[in-house]
Parts: sequence; structure tokens; C-alpha cells
Amino acid sequence: MKITKSFKHAFNMVRHSKLRSWLTIIGIVIGVAAVIAIVSLGEGMQEAVNSRMSGLGGDIVTITPGASHGGEMFAMRGGGDRGSGASQAAGNTATLTRTDVQVLRGMPDIAMIDTNIRGTVNVSYLGKSGKVSMTGVDQRVWSQITTSKIKAGRMLDPADQNVVVIGGRLASSYFSQPLGINKMFSIEGKAFRVVGVLDDQSTSIDMPIAMASQVIPDKSTDVYDTIVVKVKDQNQLNDTIINIQAKLMTARHVSEKNMDFSITSNKQMQETMAQTIGSMSAFLAAIAAVSLIVGAIGIANTMFTSVLEKTKEIGIMKAIGARNRDILMIFLIKAALIGLIGGILGVILGAVLSGSMASLIGNMPIARGGGIAIVSLNSVLMALFVSSGAGIIAGIVPAYQASKLKPVDALRYE
Amino acid sequence: MKKRAEFQGEAILRLQDVWKIYKMGAVDVPALRGVSLDIKQGDFVAITGASGSGKSTMMNLMGCLDIPSRGHIYLKSRDISTLSESDLASFRGRTIGFVFQQYNLIPSMSAFENVLLPLEFLEYSDRDAARRAKEILDIVGLGERMHHCPAQLSGGQQQRVSIARSLAGNPEIILADEPSGALDSVTGKKIMELLSKLWKEEGKTIIMITHELNLAKYAHTIVELKDGQIMRIHENREIIK
Repeated sequence: MKITKSFKHAFNMVRHSKLRSWLTIIGIVIGVAAVIAIVSLGEGMQEAVNSRMSGLGGDIVTITPGASHGGEMFAMRGGGDRGSGASQAAGNTATLTRTDVQVLRGMPDIAMIDTNIRGTVNVSYLGKSGKVSMTGVDQRVWSQITTSKIKAGRMLDPADQNVVVIGGRLASSYFSQPLGINKMFSIEGKAFRVVGVLDDQSTSIDMPIAMASQVIPDKSTDVYDTIVVKVKDQNQLNDTIINIQAKLMTARHVSEKNMDFSITSNKQMQETMAQTIGSMSAFLAAIAAVSLIVGAIGIANTMFTSVLEKTKEIGIMKAIGARNRDILMIFLIKAALIGLIGGILGVILGAVLSGSMASLIGNMPIARGGGIAIVSLNSVLMALFVSSGAGIIAGIVPAYQASKLKPVDALRYE
Repeated sequence: MKKRAEFQGEAILRLQDVWKIYKMGAVDVPALRGVSLDIKQGDFVAITGASGSGKSTMMNLMGCLDIPSRGHIYLKSRDISTLSESDLASFRGRTIGFVFQQYNLIPSMSAFENVLLPLEFLEYSDRDAARRAKEILDIVGLGERMHHCPAQLSGGQQQRVSIARSLAGNPEIILADEPSGALDSVTGKKIMELLSKLWKEEGKTIIMITHELNLAKYAHTIVELKDGQIMRIHENREIIK
């Protein structure tokens, strides 16, 4: 029998046992939809992270005092120069000083160095006040090292003193009235002029480090919360990090065991996050795949019932010339069809589900600012391949059983 | 039209010391015991006997639906025991057409699709298969009802569809198991006349299994079975006349 005819008979069998077929198909739909939703969400999150992190500068290395903390990478904000200061907050007494900067300046593979201090300050403007985070930056290099974009005004200049660059939200809606370029406002009781507004949604303030050390409480000069380094050759990033670590360890008289500083790069963070999201997605997809297995067992069950129900017809077909492989093909195609239809509907449901889940978790920091569910062609093809494959695997034994029925026994079956 | 005298030629189906033994637990129950029979091409053979005489077993063996426990069955000189399952299925499909007592049509298919089915197994082209199916349904007088499902047809019409299906692949042998057994006498007679016509006009070899002696009068050769053995083979003098 030609394959097109086997397909026709298989399709008719599915059509004539509507309820049972649909119930089986629903099992596959649920499994495929769950896998698609999770995989597309995972891919979307990966994409979102990649696009956000790629704007952070792959040639930026951040040095912070204290041993490394796993949570630091999540504390990153918009700029590559905004490494975490959480190490000190954790109670670590180690500090980064001018000496460390001197050591770094002597390294040939470093292009420029920005020193930062960070703290929370009281601000007020036209009667409205609040607390925001502020970063003191080396204004001589900051504009070249930061990945933040300016929306209005300008970046800090080497000659700047009592001026600041503020985040987009602080400028637009934090106070009762917008805080625009050249407007004066108060930080810890001192007046500062806004020279630039960043193209982001933060409430941050960036000002020259010398001025910041006077404004932020408990900060002394020449002690930094982070040192941000721009390397000369991004391709040599890992080697440069190793060199920096070696130099600083020597200068600070520490070994790897008691190292009191940590070095992170955006590239490393990007890789680590991608890995974490990938593993998480794979784990969740594996759980979802269990329901696909349950669906496949449903197909096997339906196929066994179908073979029993069609035993007499199999006998008739064999009597009038059907070969074993004709019967095998009809039943295998039927199983594959159930899997395929379930797969197609599952992909559609999965896409809808992942879209809804994406909007539900859209407020998560990692998801903000992008459509985070991506139903890729690969995952769709994979889902259809797996669902049809599951159907075929589940249908092999019943179909084989059907093909091996003796015509004389099958004809006698009532 | 082929001449009936041709059936005096070579045996199209030969049973040689055929035994069929069924296992019922630890007990062996012989259904056929050393049956030998030659069926000539173009003959109309009625195999008669009481219930339990081995008629159905003989039909299954002659139709190549089963293989003997002992002995040999030659269909067109080929020993069916030596054929693989697939080869036997193809050979059966090309050589034998079945007419069952309970029609055995596929209920979800129309009369036309039922007749088309054996042609699909024989891999006819779509056009040839459709033309052949229509032609045969016209021959059995069901051209007008070809798109009806079995449930929408009377018993006699269903049996005619079954005969049409048996003829579809143009087999040399029609094997009919109690073809009028489920029909009233008038319809049954029409079916028998149809089979008789196929024998006389198409030159088919007809093998009919029946327990009704009055149906045997349509056949040329009558084989009487009793307790799994052939008691008598005789020619129907009436039909020869």
C-alpha cells in the first residue's frame, strides 16, 4: 500500500474515534505547551539578559574590596562602572586605596582607571526631599568608561566641581516638579547644578569624586568602594584579569586563600547569568517533559484500545491483501498523527502561555524592558519532532501487535 | 466468455494430506484429518457438511488465512507453507477474493471505499482503482448506492458489495463462506445467481462453503465433509445437464 493511502486510513481512524483521539491529543498538548512555554521563556530571558549585558561593555573590569559574593552580579545597574559596593556593607574591613590605583597604573594592558565611592544621600528640590544613591566618579575618565548614555545636557568634565549628572527618573518624576538642566538642587544641604540627565530610569546621582567624598557621610579621601578598569584589548580580558589579580595580591600581601578583594567583569557575569538561566530552563523543561511522557503513555493506551477495537477490520484487511507492513504503517501513522496534532496545538498553547507568563513576570528586574518570551523556530520544530516521535514510539508496540495478528484469529474476533 | 470445460484442466488449488489440529489446553483436537482435494481452475465447488465437520477450517486453509498443521496446500502450484507472511498476503490478495457470511465490510467506509480497499493494497493507481471499483459496483447492481455506508444498505446489498470487493482485484478464485447464510431466501437466491453468473460468464473458480444442501445445486462439484474428512466428492449431474 502506498504511504499516502496509509496516511488516509490513519487519518480516518483518528477522525472516526473523535472523543478518544481528542482526549489523547490533550495529553500531548499539555506536555508540549509546558515545554514550549518554559523553553521560550528561558530563551527570551537569555536574550533579554544578553541584550542588557552587552550594553555594559565587555572591556570593563570592576575591582571591589572583600571576597567575592554571589549576589554581586545582580546588584549591577546600568553602567559598567557601577560595580557593587556591597562588600563593605557586608562588614568587610578591607579597602581599596590610592596604592592599589598606583599599582594598576603601572600595568601596560590597562587603558584607563576610574575610582568610585558610593553612598546614600538626602536630596531636596522645591520642598520635596528624599534619599537616593550617589556615586562619586573620576570625572577625567568617567565619560569614556561609563556605558550610561546621556539624554540631555552633558557628561562630567575634568574641570567640574559643584555639578552633577542625574538619572532619568530623578530628573523627570522624583520631585514634585521636573529637575532640568542647569537647575540647582540640594544634596546633604549643599547646592549643586544639574549638567546632564542620563537616558535611563534610575534616581542615581554622579558627581566628581572629590566633591562626593565631602558630601557622602563617613567617606575619606583616597579610599574607594570600587575601582573600574578599562582594558586595552578585550580579547586579552582573561589574561588581564589574572595579571591584575597577581599584581594586587602582591601589593596587598595576600594569597588566593585570604584574598581581600574581588574582580568581576561584565563578560564573565554575562556568561555566568547565561549559564544559570540555561541550567534553570533545562531543569524546568525536564520537569515539563514528564507531562510529555505521560501524554505519550496516553497515546500507547489509545493505540492498544484501537488495535483491540479494530481487530476484526485488521483481519478483513489481511484477508483482502494487506501485508503486515501495511497494517504497521497505518497504526504507526495514526500514533504519529495524534502526536503531531497534539504538538501543533501544544506549540500554539505554549506560545500563548509563555506570552502571558512573560507579562506576569514582566516586572522582574531581569525581564524589564523587553519581550522576554521567544518561541524560536528551533523549539517549534523540536517540539513537533518530539511529539510525533513520542507518538511513534508509543505506537510501535501496539502497531507491531496489530501487524502480527493472524488473519484467521482477527476475523474470528468479536 | 470462458468455457466451463476449461476447469477440467490443472488444479488451481491442491490440498495434499492436510491436517489441522487445534490445541485445547493439553488436548489436541483435529479439525481436519488427512484431507486431499484438487480444485480445478474454473470449477464451482461446494463444500458441504454439518456443523463441526471442518468446513470453516477448510475455508481458512484454502483461503491461505491459516496454514496446515501437517500436509501441503498448493495454490497455483506454490506451497503456501513456504511463503513469508507478506508474500502470502500479496499472493492471497491477487489470487483469492473472499465473500463472508456476515459480509465483513468496514463500517466506516462507503461501498465504494470498501471495494477500493483491496485495490489500494494491490497498489493500483488512483484512477484505475476508482474506475475498477465503479465498474464492479455497476456489475453487482450497486452503482447508484456506491457512496452509502454499510449501515445504510440492506443485507443483500451489503453482500453484493462484499462480492464486488472480492472481484475488485480480478482474482481467479472466489471463496464464499455461507454467502446467503444471513439473508432471506429470495435475496439469498439472487446472491447465488450472481455467483453462478460469475462462474459461468467470468470463468472464476468458485469455492463455496455451505451447510445448506439446496445451495449446493448451484455448484458443479460437491465435496461432503464429515468429522474432518472428505466423505464423498461428486459432480452435480443437474448442472452438467
